[in-house]
Amino acid sequence: MARPGDALPRSPLIGLFLMIALAAIAMISLAIGMAHGTPNWVAYLVLPIGAALFGLYVLFAFLPHLAQARELAEAEAAARALEQQLGLAIADLQAGDLVATLAHAEELPPRLAALVANASRALGALVQQIQNSSIEVAASGSTVNATASELAAGSSQQAAGVVEITATMEELARTAAQIAANAASQAELAAQSEQSGDAGALAVEDALHGVEEVQKRISGIADRADTLGARSKEIYRVLELITEIAQETHLLSLNATIEAAAAGEHGRRFSVVADEVRRLAQRSQESVASVRSLLDEFAGSIRTTVVATEEGSKEAARVLERARSAAAAIADLRGALADTARAAREISLATQQQRTASDQVVLTLKEVSQVIQRMAQGLKHFSATSERLHQLALSIQLLTQSFRLDSPRSLKNLGERWAGEVALRAGHWEALGPQMEDVVRQSPFVELAFVADMNGNVVASSANPEWVAEGTETTSVTAGLNAKERPWFQAVARDGRCVITPLYQSLLTGERCFTVAAPVRDARGALLGVMGLDVNARSWTKI
Amino acid sequence: MDPIPGTGAASLRALLVETGEYLCALPVNQVRQVVRALPIHPLPGASPELLGLAEFTGEPIPVLDLGRLVGAPPAARPANPVTVVVWAGPPHARELVGLAADAALEIVEIAPADVAAAGPGLVGGEVALGGRPTCLLNLEALGTA
Repeated sequence: MARPGDALPRSPLIGLFLMIALAAIAMISLAIGMAHGTPNWVAYLVLPIGAALFGLYVLFAFLPHLAQARELAEAEAAARALEQQLGLAIADLQAGDLVATLAHAEELPPRLAALVANASRALGALVQQIQNSSIEVAASGSTVNATASELAAGSSQQAAGVVEITATMEELARTAAQIAANAASQAELAAQSEQSGDAGALAVEDALHGVEEVQKRISGIADRADTLGARSKEIYRVLELITEIAQETHLLSLNATIEAAAAGEHGRRFSVVADEVRRLAQRSQESVASVRSLLDEFAGSIRTTVVATEEGSKEAARVLERARSAAAAIADLRGALADTARAAREISLATQQQRTASDQVVLTLKEVSQVIQRMAQGLKHFSATSERLHQLALSIQLLTQSFRLDSPRSLKNLGERWAGEVALRAGHWEALGPQMEDVVRQSPFVELAFVADMNGNVVASSANPEWVAEGTETTSVTAGLNAKERPWFQAVARDGRCVITPLYQSLLTGERCFTVAAPVRDARGALLGVMGLDVNARSWTKI
Repeated sequence: MDPIPGTGAASLRALLVETGEYLCALPVNQVRQVVRALPIHPLPGASPELLGLAEFTGEPIPVLDLGRLVGAPPAARPANPVTVVVWAGPPHARELVGLAADAALEIVEIAPADVAAAGPGLVGGEVALGGRPTCLLNLEALGTA
């Protein structure tokens, strides 16, 4: 495209200069010819040539120059339009509205539009990356903060535990000293008991010999009782024999009496003898009965003696067994007492060493306690640093949110989108309640969504039940609020763009928040009101 | 009650035996001999009173259970059982019979005035000896019983 000041503007001047030069030459020639009264062939020659040259000039220089001048005017108009579009795009870019920048860039020439779009997208990608990074940094900061808090709590518990262990170890050291003293006393007692055990063992040994002697004597008595029993049986047999003889004699005497009776008077004397014999037999039987009775008593005594000796023998055996067990037990006891004395001495020594070790452990625990305290302090710094990191990430996030991106994480874009939907119900503010509820339901980080008309009155609002109790009336916050006095309203009214406020304390929750304010426009772009989204600073990472 | 044969005395000499819980007095003149309990060979189909047959002086004699004959309740097992061989039956037809008793005690004199007549059966009368009631047996009636 031709530009003013190039070779074309100079050609008409050269042509005009040539024309003037040829006219001057023709005039001079004509004047010279007229002065000499003769026709000047130069003048006749120059005039046609000049006319021819003039014609050529008009044809090849002047007319193209006029065409170029028109093209130049058109180019200047296009350049101004381009400059305006480019200015709008750059203004959008300056305002951080990359979405509008892209929209305006579409009206630029393709190459320029591509360049602007690429630059806008690259910037948007960078901002998105920074946004994501800030969220990750915040999340990491929160994790670090939580971990630091847990570690701090753990270190506090450790410190308490170390204090408790220290007290326990000190008590253990004192107890160890007491145990050492007790063990020494026990060792002494065990040594004395060992000596008593020796005496007891000797006594039990004597008792053992005595019991063995008693057992032998009881055994002798039992043997004699057995002998007596055997003799008693022989006596019984003799008595039975005597009894039989007496019985036989009795029968003989009866028969004799019977025979005497049969003999009549002659047998009377014999009868007397027979009767005497019968009485003798009867006395024999009575004597045998007495002897048998005595013998029964004697045999009973013998049996009692045998039983007594058997029981005595068994008892002696049991006593002997017990005495042997007692001797064995005393022997074991002596061994155990010796072991006890040795163990008590070892315990005494070990507890003394334990006390020394406990003292060392106490010293070490105190050092550990100091380390833990330093660690706890470091963790507190760490926690504060992570909190600062979180705040820094929030600041970066707020900086990146100053850009409007075609991204679900772009609050300005979100505000513009919701404001666009609000604009569809312009004039019917009472119908915006459900829409505000949709906003807080779909955006958990928003604690309050509201719309203010151009008079600054809040005409619709909804609080997020996640941050305030469900059913809480937002009118207590919005009533009497003149939005026109708020900087965000004024900024939106002035620039017609979505804005994000710095952090401030929420009237609704008392927590820190920031407001995303977006213009509500009608179809012709006239501002109808401002839509506000109060974002809770504690939940901004959910964006 | 017959007096002692040949004496004409009024008293009666009798052999006092024990059977079960009863005491029985057997007239001495009808007693042949008192022996230790003879081995008895039971007779199949015999009456309960007849214990069986025993050998006495080479001859078999029947042995009767005196306790059953007088209806005495049985006592404990006797220490010295005896068999009293008596003449039973009427004088003209008497025969030797053995009476199994628990013990032969003694020869006693019984005054007829002390005897209470009982009847014509085996127990001819009753008498109290040493405070114990005693059956005075009429052995002549044994053969006819």
